Amino acid sequence: MSRAVEQYLAQLRASLAGADTALIQDALSDAEEHLTAALEQALAKEPGIAQDAVLESFIETYGAPGEVAAAYKEMETMTTIPFAAAPPSPNIEVRRRHGFFGVLGDIHTYGALLYMLFSLVTGIVYFTWAVTGLSLSAGLMILVIGIPLMTAFLLSVRGIAFVEGKLVEAVLGERMPRRSVFFKKDLGWWGAVKALFTDRTTWTAMLYLILQLPLGIIYFTVMITLIAVSLALIAEPVLHYVFDVPFVQTNHHYYYLPGWTMPFLVIGGILLLIVTLHAARGIGRLHGRYAKKLLVKGE
Amino acid sequence: MRSEDRKLLRELNAGTAAIVLLSVVARAQEPIYGYQVARLIGAGSEEAPMMKQGALYPVLRSLERTGLLSSTVEPSVTGPPRRYYRVTDEGRAALERWIMIWSESKSFVDSILKGSYDEQSG
Repeated sequence: MSRAVEQYLAQLRASLAGADTALIQDALSDAEEHLTAALEQALAKEPGIAQDAVLESFIETYGAPGEVAAAYKEMETMTTIPFAAAPPSPNIEVRRRHGFFGVLGDIHTYGALLYMLFSLVTGIVYFTWAVTGLSLSAGLMILVIGIPLMTAFLLSVRGIAFVEGKLVEAVLGERMPRRSVFFKKDLGWWGAVKALFTDRTTWTAMLYLILQLPLGIIYFTVMITLIAVSLALIAEPVLHYVFDVPFVQTNHHYYYLPGWTMPFLVIGGILLLIVTLHAARGIGRLHGRYAKKLLVKGE
Repeated sequence: MRSEDRKLLRELNAGTAAIVLLSVVARAQEPIYGYQVARLIGAGSEEAPMMKQGALYPVLRSLERTGLLSSTVEPSVTGPPRRYYRVTDEGRAALERWIMIWSESKSFVDSILKGSYDEQSG
């Protein structure tokens, strides 16, 4: 990469300090894409142009780093919903999310619930892929074929990490970058392969894929159990009086609860269901943050 | 440029950038990337000093986020991958509405500036 582009990006990164990671990444990749093209034009016109003059012309035409950073931050505050067609009124949104029963009106609750139930499936797929790919390519390292195999495998890990990031963004509402972090540096293909191997995100993404299986099992089991218990409690009066199903049944013994417990069971079931939704939303938030740490390139 | 001039420009620009960029992308025959957009509208040049090239990209991204544009990232031979934008059906519909809004507000401002407001209201 040219020194002028690098300097400009460094200044832009400094101006963006403290902003959302994904926003920083958006701004830097836009600037890099644009300035590389602009530099090419400048060099075509004047082959021996000085780097300082190039940097100056960047600031002149692309805007001072501080201005550009401000433009991104402003845009971010204007459109904060990542995938909705039109952002809903923020007041309603805030009011709905709060309070014990507010969890029912929050779309992220159901997104998180769905995510946790599906994470068993994605966990199995990710884990299998990561472990198979890693052991296969590591094992074949003694032969020449191991290196291209490993490269292809690491590329696939980055690809999966990108898709998973999109999924987390859509379902859990955690903002993730809009572009994949494939080779950012102008290094040629060999440099790109080296960058793939040395980039921290490649390995943290692989860790994420592997950890997704145990996490998926826990998420799935806990959620299914909580939902099943709450629904069973809520349905107990119907089961008792209509279908004559005992509360507990062992081989030859049937246990029924007395009628006066029924209202308590139903209320308890409803409360447990709402607590479950709270748990789902909370864990979803935590998982979103954790996914961002492992799947997005830190600055 | 004076600071109050710059403030006015910035405020005008905040509203017009979206309509300008949407129309440029809509008029392009093929998906178009940021640098081409900047070249087409002459951003950062003497003729359009109100629009720095760097300010185009966040607008493009926000148009994409509201569903008026869609984009794909394609690798490029010489540099980092490029993000190509194209207009969505929703974007075309929005552009039609925006053009109407723009021509209405433009003729309103023009009529005030030319003084026809005085004549009409007597």
